[in-house]
Amino acid sequence: MNFVPLALIAEVTHRCPLRCVYCSNPTEMRSRSDELSTGEWQRVFDEAATLGVLQLHLTGGEPLARPDTEQLVKSGRAAGLYINLITSGIGLSEARLDALVNAGLDHVQLSFQDSEQAQADEIAGTRAHAAKLELARRIRKHRIAFTMNIVVHRQNLARLPQMIALAEELEVGKLEVANVQYYGWAFENRGKLLPTREQVQETIAIVDAARERLKGRMRIDCVLPDYYARYPKPCMGGWGQGLMLIDPAGVVLPCHAARVIPGLKFDDVRSQPLRWIWEESASFQRFRGDQWMQEPCRSCERKTRDFGGCRCQAFLYTGDADATDPVCSLAPKRELIDAVIASPAAPTESTWVYRINPSNQKSEFRIQN
Amino acid sequence: MTEPAPTNIPRLAPGCRMTQSKDLGPVLLMPENMLRLTGPGPRIVELCDGARTLAEVIATLQTEFSGADPEMIRREVLAFLASLNDRRALDYL
Repeated sequence: MNFVPLALIAEVTHRCPLRCVYCSNPTEMRSRSDELSTGEWQRVFDEAATLGVLQLHLTGGEPLARPDTEQLVKSGRAAGLYINLITSGIGLSEARLDALVNAGLDHVQLSFQDSEQAQADEIAGTRAHAAKLELARRIRKHRIAFTMNIVVHRQNLARLPQMIALAEELEVGKLEVANVQYYGWAFENRGKLLPTREQVQETIAIVDAARERLKGRMRIDCVLPDYYARYPKPCMGGWGQGLMLIDPAGVVLPCHAARVIPGLKFDDVRSQPLRWIWEESASFQRFRGDQWMQEPCRSCERKTRDFGGCRCQAFLYTGDADATDPVCSLAPKRELIDAVIASPAAPTESTWVYRINPSNQKSEFRIQN
Repeated sequence: MTEPAPTNIPRLAPGCRMTQSKDLGPVLLMPENMLRLTGPGPRIVELCDGARTLAEVIATLQTEFSGADPEMIRREVLAFLASLNDRRALDYL
């Protein structure tokens, strides 16, 4: 079967001024010295476009932590790609925003942690909220697409109406109400982040009402936590079927979290052509089709829709990446998810595990030596 | 939105543009989304250039597709533009 990657997620750095407790970056990060150079990214964008990629998502870490983000935007556009910048916005001056727009930026996705400053800054592990508000007003002056992304969880869902009101006030074209996905740092903090079933139901009602009210003015996308779903999500649209992610060091992955799965060797763009990695490498072939599936997936009529769910989640809970995603109501190990839902951490019970920066990781390593 | 007037000027919304994909043909790119354009789709989008009025867009298509029923063209174009507006891919000046 012939798969065409339509989008490339480029994690251009793992460095970030924020320390969000639900960061989707792997807990083991790439240091600055391992990052691909400007020229290497440019070659990767050209290879990706030739392969059929249409959309480029520049993310991190914080993509603006690199001094060459404008050049990356320019290279992506030159390759014919649609450029989305996923950013915390920290340190984005007016002049730099102008330069990014002039370089051909199509879409900015600005992350918010909350509608309230104190709670937002607690989640981010730093003071960031006020600067984001100011930046949002500056972005509105440009004729580019603007999405506001708010990551929601048990601690902030009570303020969902205020968050929607903030998005209206900032006149964004699209609001993403994104429940935390429990990988990376979020997996570490899931006891404090996972919402209750009542909160999830309330979210659906609030979002439905807002969609109706704001029709034609603002689009609202809503991602619910799959722990409460009956069937798993078609993670990344299927392993290696339409999306790829390249980490700061050039390692090509089918998703953000894939490195947690042991026994897979992921190839990198410094050693192999991108086309070979996508079409032929063992890691991308590993979960294509249904030969790898176990029961009940293999004989399930939903397998062409959800592909057995998320391989990383299957591994994180069952220790077996071939298993049915445990969030599925048909999964033999669904009880593992039910146990997490049944015993959330009390608000004061535990402390946050904050994301650390790659450089910090290194210095800790040196201290131990 | 409410029904656009014939004098309204349709144009692609910020962050939306057309491109040619070697695998999919003409594609309308939008924030984290894309729409494959078929039939007269690419031509309609091309005509929504921020200069022509809605009436002019429809009249041009009625001339170019003279074999088709003009009233059918008008209805189809309005429905297509409404679907783009719902996706926030098109707005009116």
